Amino acid sequence: MNSFFTSLIILLMCGFAAGRFSDKFKIIALSIFTAIASVCSFLPAVNVLLGGETLVKTFNFNPLFGDVNFVIDPLSAFFVIIISVMSLVTVIYANGYLRPYVEKGKNINAHLVFLPMLFASMQAVVTCQNAFMFLICWEIMSLSSFFLVIFENEKKDVLRAGIKYLVFMHISVLFIMIAFAFLSIKAGSFDFNAFKAVLSKNIHFANLVFALLFIGFGTKAGFVPFHNWLPDGHPAAPSHVSAVMSGVMIKTGIYGILRVLSLMGTPAKGVAFAVLVISLITALYGVLYAITQNDIKRLLAYSSIENIGIIGMGISVGMLGLAYGQPVVAMLGFSGGMLHILNHSVFKELMFMAAGSVYTKTHTRNIEILGGLVKSMPKTAILFLIGSVAICGLPPFNGFISEFLVYLGMFKGLSIHNFFSVIMILFAIAGLALVGTMALLCFTKAFSIIFLGMPRSSSAQKVTRDNELSMIIPMGFLAVMALVIGVLPIFAFALILSPVSVLMPVVQYNILPTLSVVGVITLYALAFLVFLAVLILVKLKLTNGKIDMHETWGCGYNRPNNHMQYTASSYASPFLSMLNPLIKKVFDVEKPRKLFPHSAHFNFHVEDIEEAYIIEPVLKTDEWFLSKFEGLQSGNIQSYIKYGLIFLVIVIIGSLLV
Amino acid sequence: MIILNLIILLIVPFLMAGVIKKTKAFWGGRKGASIFQPLYDFIKLMKKDFVISKTTSTVFKIAPIVQIASVLFASMFVPLACGNALINVTAGIVIFAYTLSLGKFVSLVSAMDTGSSFEGMGASREACFTTIVEPAFFMLITSIMALSGNFTFDSLQNILASAGNYGVLIQIFAVVVLFIMILIEGSRVPVDDPATHLELTMIHEVMILDNSGSDLAFFTWANSIKMLLLSSLIAYIIIPQGLSDLASIGAYLLLMFIISIVIGTVESAMARFRMSHVFEFVFLMSSFALVVLALVVARMFGG
Repeated sequence: MNSFFTSLIILLMCGFAAGRFSDKFKIIALSIFTAIASVCSFLPAVNVLLGGETLVKTFNFNPLFGDVNFVIDPLSAFFVIIISVMSLVTVIYANGYLRPYVEKGKNINAHLVFLPMLFASMQAVVTCQNAFMFLICWEIMSLSSFFLVIFENEKKDVLRAGIKYLVFMHISVLFIMIAFAFLSIKAGSFDFNAFKAVLSKNIHFANLVFALLFIGFGTKAGFVPFHNWLPDGHPAAPSHVSAVMSGVMIKTGIYGILRVLSLMGTPAKGVAFAVLVISLITALYGVLYAITQNDIKRLLAYSSIENIGIIGMGISVGMLGLAYGQPVVAMLGFSGGMLHILNHSVFKELMFMAAGSVYTKTHTRNIEILGGLVKSMPKTAILFLIGSVAICGLPPFNGFISEFLVYLGMFKGLSIHNFFSVIMILFAIAGLALVGTMALLCFTKAFSIIFLGMPRSSSAQKVTRDNELSMIIPMGFLAVMALVIGVLPIFAFALILSPVSVLMPVVQYNILPTLSVVGVITLYALAFLVFLAVLILVKLKLTNGKIDMHETWGCGYNRPNNHMQYTASSYASPFLSMLNPLIKKVFDVEKPRKLFPHSAHFNFHVEDIEEAYIIEPVLKTDEWFLSKFEGLQSGNIQSYIKYGLIFLVIVIIGSLLV
Repeated sequence: MIILNLIILLIVPFLMAGVIKKTKAFWGGRKGASIFQPLYDFIKLMKKDFVISKTTSTVFKIAPIVQIASVLFASMFVPLACGNALINVTAGIVIFAYTLSLGKFVSLVSAMDTGSSFEGMGASREACFTTIVEPAFFMLITSIMALSGNFTFDSLQNILASAGNYGVLIQIFAVVVLFIMILIEGSRVPVDDPATHLELTMIHEVMILDNSGSDLAFFTWANSIKMLLLSSLIAYIIIPQGLSDLASIGAYLLLMFIISIVIGTVESAMARFRMSHVFEFVFLMSSFALVVLALVVARMFGG
């Protein structure tokens, strides 16, 4: 445990130290510090996961808080491992990503302080077991990530997105605060263990608290309808920050939900169904909007929402299993969800980094003006391709394993003989299949429009070489991880076995069927790889023959140019045409009018219906209502004193009446 | 068993394609090519050199391999010739469908690699149809599996035993759903027209415009195998259990023959739908799958 705190302290201090170095070595210094810190937190966590004792450290620095326990139990350890590995990978990547900014003379000292602070606060959030301290760490996490998001604060839309993020995080923390306040009043202590007794005593109270916390943590995680900050926050942030936010930080929301579940014991059936429905909607909504986006990072942000939905489906299947007393279902559901947390952080970090790598070279996030980058940036292209295949949940990569476990959990869940649950699960299975195919559409679009075909603009044309190794190596590491988890899931499974057992306190489960299934999948994945290799060898033998290079076939037209290619919007259009009521299409068209037309343009984007029909009207009404009080702010000191006086009088009268 | 499967995968898909063409020739009043013609075409294509677009990258060269590999791998999970599947495992349908999806992923990406607007159009439509077809397929198969509580493809064979009075009805709807799926996935009329290459209404065929030589051969073979696999599922539903090995193989081959003739007849009798109507046709499949789901639930919780 001491080494864990060493790591926290290093992370909190190293940003200041790194700022002292000369420009060239700042980030290198930060990487070294982070590497040390990561090792310090990684080792005890692995020890706990592999069956070591749960680590506990109690502080008592303030009588108000009561005892502050920092605990690394298997559930926390799982998250600590993800955070340590991913933070190191992120910082190494930042070496290459931030270099152009440093060379342009941008001051990155503040950034270097907040980045490790975010890592430290995430580590603290997943280990702290005292509600008061938890909220403090949570707030540090939100604030430090806010400052990371507004890195390019000279841009107006970045600030806007940052403030939106800040507002959403504070709405979320409000719900968490209310729930914790309820709990700690009832329990008479801020300690999570004390909450356990309260939650198990009164089922209605437990459900209410769970709902509040689900909204609070769900906002962080990005469950629909609380997801709205994600698609704005991620594109605004620099790529390594989006990577760590999407890959790791939003998982702290999931951690919160899992922690509450572990305190609740057996959840109510209705709650499990509600979570299943919300998760399914989240997954579908996320992937639908991912398809509509042409901004690569917005697309990835929506895809994070989709994956949170899949994680949620796994968790809800686990909850169903607990609620109906089916340990195998619970086991499979929770392991699927848990493994998808790990998998998503692997491939989503990879994707955001690859997107950042494209951005560094082309300076645009609009995929409509990219294309043909596979020739100039082959390494990034291959890594992005691996990420895309993994994120679609296709074998032999890691996404498939976790989705398979969720499917398997749902199949076993069909044996629950209950009308409602059978129908729900059948629809959830079809829904998950739909999510999978929609992700296929989304990522074939993203990959092929960015990397394939001909360059669609000069910014894509100008790229001559791939990025430097400090950016490629972290991505390569993640890609290898995606493959290894896909082919040898048994190792990943060793990681999630004990965290899952934290969530299933009462029931004994039989892990053998699950293990054997995973073993079988491994075998198939290996067989598939060997099969592929053999076929590629055969093909290489065949292609020893002559290859003629010609223009793409265009019905005999021999001068195809880049404007004749399919675009991202046109690729998605047949699908989107079926879903008109669910999306708001915004066209900006100026047709060529005169005899000799000179100016014409066409612009198309899709707005989030929640943003367009709920959030904006609410904000408008708010603005209208609040503008009625503008007169109060007169700038006149006397009137402010008057307000103070009135307030005091009201307080005195009020307290006399009570 | 493996050898039998390999022989089936090597020969039957081409014969089915041949029979379909022969049937179309028959209804068109022509004599038509031999039913072995697709097989000869395949062998000839395998020997040919390549013509490749300058725009393409490595993705384009690897795609046909991954496509054929994924289809062949997926075939291991399907009971061919009514024997057991080579790999008979719980939730094999997920591995089956997702492996096929991998093939689809690379074929879509390879079509986009050429930078051709035709191929882009084909890819975009193919991706769009997949989004509707696959959930319907999952809905159909998992409903039937829920009925028997057995989550392998074996449950298809036991519909009559597990569904009682509803058995025949479920069988009929399941066969209809799978047949529509064959028409969509195999890119047959009325969804797609495999006979023409340069219509803007094309879907699958237009995606492989720029492929040549063994690449083209692999793509056509993979497409025929996909049809065969879905037909094998139909066979598994229809052909009763307990036949001797030889009899069941005979019945299987006969059924493949019948399905090919039906496809050929449908192609001769119908015209291609307009694109907007194709969507309706594809949704027809989902609605029939929903009917199966309803029947299953009715059987489980009704009387």
